[in-house]
Amino acid sequence: MTARLRVPRAIRRARRSVRQRLPNFRIHRTGIMAFLGVLGPGLIAGLAGTEAGGIATYSVLGAETGLSLLWIMPITTVMLLIVLEMAVRMGAVSGQGLGDLIRDDFGVRWTFFAMIVLLVANGATSVAEFAGVAAALEILNVPRFASVPLVAAGIWALVVFASYRVVERVFLSVAVVLGAYVVSAFVAGPDWGEVGRAMISPSLSFEPSILLLMIATLGTTVTPYMFFYLQSSVADKGLGPEELQLGRADAVLGAVWTNTLAVFIVVVTAATLYGSGVTIETAEDAAHALVPVAGEFAEVLFAIGLFGASVLAATVVPLTTSYTVCESFGWESGISRKFSEAPVFMGLYTALIVIGAAVVLIPGLPLIGLILVSQYLNGILLPVILFFMLRLVNNPRIMGTYTNPTWLNVLAWGLTGLVTMLTLVMFASSIAGWLGWF
Amino acid sequence: MLFLSQLVGRPVRDRDGGAFGKVRDLIVALGEEYPPVTGVVVRVAGSRDIFLPWSDVEAIDTSGARLHTSSIDITSFRQRPDEIRLWLNLLDKQIVDVEDRKIVRVNDIQLAPVDGRLRLVAVDVGLAGILRRLGLSGPGERLARVLGIEAENYIQWEDVDPVESSVSSLKLRIPHQALATLHPADVAHIVEQLAPRDRAGILAALDDERAADVFEELDADDQVDLLEALTPERAADILEEMGPDEAADLMADLSDERQEELLGLMQPEEASDVRELLAYGEETAGGLMTTDYITVRLEETAQEVIDQLRELHPDADHVYYLYVCDADETLVGTITLRGLIVAPPETPVREFMRPEPISVQLDLDAEQVGAAIARYNLLALPVVDEDGRMRGIVTVDDALERALGEGWRKRLPEVFEPVDER
Repeated sequence: MTARLRVPRAIRRARRSVRQRLPNFRIHRTGIMAFLGVLGPGLIAGLAGTEAGGIATYSVLGAETGLSLLWIMPITTVMLLIVLEMAVRMGAVSGQGLGDLIRDDFGVRWTFFAMIVLLVANGATSVAEFAGVAAALEILNVPRFASVPLVAAGIWALVVFASYRVVERVFLSVAVVLGAYVVSAFVAGPDWGEVGRAMISPSLSFEPSILLLMIATLGTTVTPYMFFYLQSSVADKGLGPEELQLGRADAVLGAVWTNTLAVFIVVVTAATLYGSGVTIETAEDAAHALVPVAGEFAEVLFAIGLFGASVLAATVVPLTTSYTVCESFGWESGISRKFSEAPVFMGLYTALIVIGAAVVLIPGLPLIGLILVSQYLNGILLPVILFFMLRLVNNPRIMGTYTNPTWLNVLAWGLTGLVTMLTLVMFASSIAGWLGWF
Repeated sequence: MLFLSQLVGRPVRDRDGGAFGKVRDLIVALGEEYPPVTGVVVRVAGSRDIFLPWSDVEAIDTSGARLHTSSIDITSFRQRPDEIRLWLNLLDKQIVDVEDRKIVRVNDIQLAPVDGRLRLVAVDVGLAGILRRLGLSGPGERLARVLGIEAENYIQWEDVDPVESSVSSLKLRIPHQALATLHPADVAHIVEQLAPRDRAGILAALDDERAADVFEELDADDQVDLLEALTPERAADILEEMGPDEAADLMADLSDERQEELLGLMQPEEASDVRELLAYGEETAGGLMTTDYITVRLEETAQEVIDQLRELHPDADHVYYLYVCDADETLVGTITLRGLIVAPPETPVREFMRPEPISVQLDLDAEQVGAAIARYNLLALPVVDEDGRMRGIVTVDDALERALGEGWRKRLPEVFEPVDER
């Protein structure tokens, strides 16, 4: 008898090798799906950054102030770059999500505070995304009382019963439609010299409405959920410090994509709507920006892009939020768990979707206004999260030799201070306005 | 019950009742079932921390600590390597709850006098600990009761296995004993919940054989990540202990250079098995099969075979069918465990074996292999080359996955990880 034996093992789990699962993406799918299959989390975070909040805020910015505030775009780009890079670095070096690190380092009280801030910011974002869904589908004559509950239930069920990644890929590819803004800008043919000058000539106004717009622009460009998502992704992928450059390139690509698009949205809305007396009150108004490229189909094109981006973000936001809260408190998480196994995770995930959808259904609320308010909130809360992030990224116990260099700290703290100042000035000038000092 | 959060921040008084600092941390010595408190870290004026040995402490409770002495010698105490600081190293950190087999966070730490010493007895991982630290114990727990939520959840220290994390400065000497008692599938579940860099630490605590079992329970992508985190020597040791088919599947996902490096470090016999399996196309019988099987000779008797089985101690997967080969390894028959046991002890194999066994060729399409196993209702199917020589077996679990196809796998819900493709 000859025997070739291995170690005992009662039951082996069905083998699931990378090659068994991935061929679906690598071989059978071509074109956009294959391309998206190799995208990194940075680019996904960037792409998801131009969602309902972004489109609405940038459109209003262009329509109401023309090119006069375009100069904040380079600043927000730098800020987004800095924040995404730090998220990638922290994920790669510590191997932990931001929620994990906050809890490890700051203890229960600060974690509780940070999570409340995150819940408020992301709850508001969730509302904005459902407002985006409602707005997009109202253009296509679907009333929001039908569309919003349906989409909410659909997102919930798709992620729970199918796969988050399927949802992510489908809507990501839909959101690419928003590239139409770039074409539209060229067709509209603004004075590019003027655009260039506007980029580098800052003008400051203490008008509360202008300050609010600036805060909303910051809030929508550098949204907390984006870097929470990015850091968890990087940590979970097991990207090590040696692959940091790859992760950074990915994050830079994401940041540049989303902000290039942002600039074009402002340019094209400025060219088509600014000075025409149109203020953006509904999604149809915003859709006019695509008339130069799509003519009578502008509204449909806009609706498709807005819908895709909003659904994508409406999926990512509740997941990222529940995941972060649960990881920082040590509660069971995972979408395939039964409600009784991961009650907090499933409860939060469900609640964020239900609240997001329910607020949009309150009769009489203007959708664009709702989206803008949620972006103000994100902008106001941003410095709080940045504070935690900067403290952690400079902690050598966590980051070893990968802490921020001095120049980066100066820049990052400077920008954080600037955002905080902006918020304070906005509050001060609002109060002054109420008191009738203006 | 005394909790760490109720002690930290309380005043430390000397024998005469004069407060000279605040409790900042407690130090315990690991190793015993309930680690005894061996010292106190006191924050004194000027934001300086000093260490006091436990022998200086007369009493400690929620109102603070009282010392025997009035003179403090701050040089006489050093934190020893087997000691940890509870607040700094354990609180808020992740631990493995061995009993419930999951990762949880330490919300508070419970201390109690055992055998005349204050000891660490349990960690609080429940809502009660969070509420206590937020200063919301009263209203929070009432609310939890109204909502029907179990706020209290303690894990005895003996059921705790600390996670060695890059964040905690804890470099533990605890050899993860508790983990070694778990089923490999449970260890794998725990490993999956950990941050990638914490995973290797858990694995370091297991011997090669157990580590191999854990590996086989992991997702392919986690396998690759984990393997890359190990030293090549350790990785090769673990691969040797894995089934050749599992090892080959795992190595197929590595880069060519890495494959060669690991194969070079493995025992020649195991390495050549894996090499052989790597050469077959994935969607063929050769790609599905394992080279672990038992062959017997025609002239051996039933009793001889049983004796040798007893000695080999084979795995359940391999004991049900034995394959009868002639001198040049050509497959000529099979015997079943039942056939072997009911045969009179002195009967040679050739008399009770089932001749003309069902077998498949190395290059047969994987789906048809699955179909064959299903049709003939087999637990394993032998694979032969063109000359009829035995090369391996495909077991039912591997084959059925193919036969049932994508649809079966799709019905399994996917766990959410906030990642793109894994």
